[in-house]
Amino acid sequence: MTDAAIEGTAAQALPARRRFVLARRLFRHRSFRIGFAIVALLVLAAVLAPVITSVEPTAMQIRYRFRPPSWQFPFGTDMFGRDVFTRVLYGARLSLWIGFTASLLAAIGGALLGLTAAYYKPLDSLLMRFNDALLAFPAILLAIGINAALGPQIQSVIIALAAAYVPRTARIVRASGLVIRELDYIDAARVSGAGAGRIIFRHMLPNCLAPLLVSLTFIFAYAILAEAALSFLGIGPPPPAPSWGNIVSEGRDYSVEAWWIMLFPGLGISLAALGMNLLGDGLRDVLDPRLKIES
Amino acid sequence: MERHKMLRRATLRRALAAAFAGAFLAAAVPAALEAAPKKGGTLVYANTSGPGTLDPQVSASMVDLEVVHHMYEGLVTIDETYATKPLLASSIDVAPDGKTFTFKLRKGVKFHSGQELTSADVKATFERYAKVSPNASALAEVESYETPDPYTFVVKLKTTNSVFVDVLKTPVYPFVILPADQKDKPARGIDAVGTGPYKLGEWMKDSHLVINRFDGYVADERKGPDGFAGARTAYLDSIRYNFVPEANARIAALQTGEADFAALIPPDLMKRLESSPDIEVSTVFPYCQQYFIVHSQQAPTDNPLIRQAIRNVVAVDEIIAVTGGGARRNHSMVYPDGEYYGGKVTEGRYDNNDPEKAKALLKEAGYKGEKIVLQSNTSYGYMRDAVLVLAEQMKAAGMNVDVDIVDWTTNASNMQKGTGGWNVSTTGFCSNPLLGPQQWKTMIYNFPHVKDDKVLDDAFAKFFASLDLKDRKDAWLTIEQRVLDQAYMIKVSDRGAVKAYNKAKFGGVRPYYMTNFWDVYRK
Amino acid sequence: MTRIIASRFAQAVPVMFLVAVLTFFLMHLLPGDPAVIIAGDQASPEAIERVRRQLGLDRPVLEQLLLWIFHLLQGDFGTSLILNQSVVSAVAERLPITLSLALVSFVITIPVGIALGVTAACFRDTWFDAGVMAVALVGVSLPNFWVAILSVILFSVTLGWLPSAGYVPIDRGLWPWLAALIQPAVVLALFQIGFLARMTRSEMLEVLDQDYIRTARAKGVTEWQTVAKHAFRNTLVSVITVSGYILSLLIGGSVIVEQVFALPGIGRLLVQAIMARDYPLVQGTMLLLGFAFVFINVMIDLIYTAVDPRVRYD
Repeated sequence: MTDAAIEGTAAQALPARRRFVLARRLFRHRSFRIGFAIVALLVLAAVLAPVITSVEPTAMQIRYRFRPPSWQFPFGTDMFGRDVFTRVLYGARLSLWIGFTASLLAAIGGALLGLTAAYYKPLDSLLMRFNDALLAFPAILLAIGINAALGPQIQSVIIALAAAYVPRTARIVRASGLVIRELDYIDAARVSGAGAGRIIFRHMLPNCLAPLLVSLTFIFAYAILAEAALSFLGIGPPPPAPSWGNIVSEGRDYSVEAWWIMLFPGLGISLAALGMNLLGDGLRDVLDPRLKIES
Repeated sequence: MERHKMLRRATLRRALAAAFAGAFLAAAVPAALEAAPKKGGTLVYANTSGPGTLDPQVSASMVDLEVVHHMYEGLVTIDETYATKPLLASSIDVAPDGKTFTFKLRKGVKFHSGQELTSADVKATFERYAKVSPNASALAEVESYETPDPYTFVVKLKTTNSVFVDVLKTPVYPFVILPADQKDKPARGIDAVGTGPYKLGEWMKDSHLVINRFDGYVADERKGPDGFAGARTAYLDSIRYNFVPEANARIAALQTGEADFAALIPPDLMKRLESSPDIEVSTVFPYCQQYFIVHSQQAPTDNPLIRQAIRNVVAVDEIIAVTGGGARRNHSMVYPDGEYYGGKVTEGRYDNNDPEKAKALLKEAGYKGEKIVLQSNTSYGYMRDAVLVLAEQMKAAGMNVDVDIVDWTTNASNMQKGTGGWNVSTTGFCSNPLLGPQQWKTMIYNFPHVKDDKVLDDAFAKFFASLDLKDRKDAWLTIEQRVLDQAYMIKVSDRGAVKAYNKAKFGGVRPYYMTNFWDVYRK
Repeated sequence: MTRIIASRFAQAVPVMFLVAVLTFFLMHLLPGDPAVIIAGDQASPEAIERVRRQLGLDRPVLEQLLLWIFHLLQGDFGTSLILNQSVVSAVAERLPITLSLALVSFVITIPVGIALGVTAACFRDTWFDAGVMAVALVGVSLPNFWVAILSVILFSVTLGWLPSAGYVPIDRGLWPWLAALIQPAVVLALFQIGFLARMTRSEMLEVLDQDYIRTARAKGVTEWQTVAKHAFRNTLVSVITVSGYILSLLIGGSVIVEQVFALPGIGRLLVQAIMARDYPLVQGTMLLLGFAFVFINVMIDLIYTAVDPRVRYD
């Protein structure tokens, strides 16, 4: 494979200095820097939400409904008189959390599936058929179905999104895994008595980490957008808890009258997706520009 | 002498004739100046979705019924004031014992297929209704149908039902007449053939539905149009229903001229149409009434004190502000101009807005913070929004509230069956408040899952058995007060239907709770 | 060659079966009862039971599954509960709409995406490159219904250039058909173009760095010829591979776009069917969609093999 892959395996044994070099290279990459800054800002805003604003996101003040942005209400108020700024901040928490968890679960699930398929040749065919079956569903339709099956909770959205993206990560991991499997030193390891688990986790997994990490960032971006789409269809995280998707969805009938309701969370979604895409670009360029990742 | 008399009579006759002629001309001239509506033109109507079925005996939703009532007609129907008027029946005779009803049919009425309507068709329709309709229980007390001749239809009941004819006017699951050859067709499996002024044209289920004028339509000769009754004229060649789920898109269609008529415009968006001088926006009252439904068999709302506590936190003005400017305050389960309106008698259980009283009731009930689940759905904005506001009002009184927003299928199913763990939900009732207590009965028992309420049972029994309106009204007032006292249902508001149409292109549009297009013409 | 085709299709069969069974169980996990929708939400419990019996919904789940598979093997994809027509005819009615949308979107995406990617690669690291990539990035980051709603307000209501909603069948004229599809197709294409542009650029960059390109340049072959002949052909291969993925994105993304623009396509059909718990319709449609995707993927694999003889198959 390439330098980066071997670097990856070797990274286990090498001192922290190697990883420090990696980090420096990442931060020298312009896309990565910008992406990282955007994402860090959004995460910070989300985490510090209760500090930044003292208002409850679900508190209604009906007499203040549909106020445009002002000093008192920086992002205006919605149809219930709730402060949109507060809701967008708390919505950031939920949306970023959904994106992060869904992509992490997709990565873990995909890794398990892909590595197992790559290592155990007889299982490969079966697992990949199953994977193809899942892949045959457009992600959003699968998400809708699973979400409807599990009921309207935040967990269902996460599980639905994770399940929709597992086949994609599985494919990527399997591709990397297959290549590693054929390398000489794997045979050497096996001959010297290393068990399957050791081979998979010590040798194959680290080499898959690079493409996995890159795909994780792109899936995060998809997940944020998918959460918005699910909310638009009415099956996202249930009200009254705010998520960016459902604030935009609630505001869409009033796109002319109260444009602020749709604008700000929409910007949030776009920025988060943008930031993650830039991060992913940076990671990919640094770790291995030749990685053929579905960006 | 005779000739003199005859001459005078002749002169008198001629004078009278001249006078008549003059009067006739005087009346005719202004009529001629005001151009009579011409036949022709197509109207495009943007609604949220299309009918699920055109089988009237299983049609309950507004989108089905709006089309159904252009295509079919019944023995009796609702007029402008939602009272009962005969339509296909030329006369109705009710026997003094309230058990035998004789309908004489109009002669020469044609189906879209060309055949004439006879009593055999009516009998077949009723028999199919009893087999196929979710409202078949309305015919439960029927002993027999008789058709002594092709234009007479007789219904004999086992017990007295003083309001049987009023039951037949229902626009929901209507008793409209189908041809006899449809008798054995399964639910939703009929050929859409009726006697109405329009017949079915092209129908693409997700996209659009077109109805075309039925040129063989035989109109009633009585004064009309009077709601669904009376003489109705089909001027428009055809009406095209476009199914446009997004409110933005419906309004845009009106503004660009792609649609001539649009339904279900969120009242907050009406302002967008103010800049179009051709568009007329109106709110039609009455339309539906909104209620919170409280589950009387699900803890903790199985305790009447807790239900009453919930009723006491409701602040109606906040909910009206949010669910749409089209809503009005009304404490009653019927409308002020209806014959069953109780006025001050039934007041006092509306817009209580008294969190302190609620807290006291909770304390009396021994409420220990048990979870109260409010369920609603994402499909109907006003339902979801009302529940969200109620949740905040309940929280302010110290109740432990959980909001559960599901899709309409699940919500409706749960309300129907009592499953799903909900305590409070909400919906709108359209025909029940309009048509009277006989229409209310199923809903009152069904959705709140009322069991073993002797007061209600006795009152309803009295209602159906009383031939005198005054007794029936007494019975109804008992029912209404009981329902509101026990907080099986909590009244929220009277909702109006916001409708917008292009008044520069179309005339003759009459406000009615169910949109209809007969007597509407292209200018 | 025929052996490869046959084997690919044979491998697809178990996948299809899995798709079918998965869909079935997914649907039956859904809470909520289609009988209530059909009977009407104000029907009595007895009436609802009657509907359930009529539709065979009261039978045990496993029996329903076996019945469904039995019918499937006979070519009967079932009858929609809500629409009261066969699943095949329901899908067939809506296929032209989704296909039209996908076609117009595809036709916009491919040339624009490739052109952007190729030119960005050729002018790598210039302002042009950065600009194009920024546009592509924005394309993959915007929520599509947000763009759709804003687009309608601008192009339909304010400017009046394009219709705001609805589908116009092509027999009413080429321009009306196209005009109704332009906005939804472009909204859909935004994501695809961004995706394709980025991928094309990275592919091109990789190819441009290859030895044989340097050799060609050294030999004196002009820049244009180099780019066109070698670099481009390799990029085309990846485009073909990714086309399948783009198509699946189109079907998925079309769900939203069809809703906003009131296009009666398969996406909307499926979402409404899921919401209404119309089991036969969801199962049958997912199955048909699944077949279609597997077929497309097999086709693409085969084209890929034909175009790039270096690829071998297991």
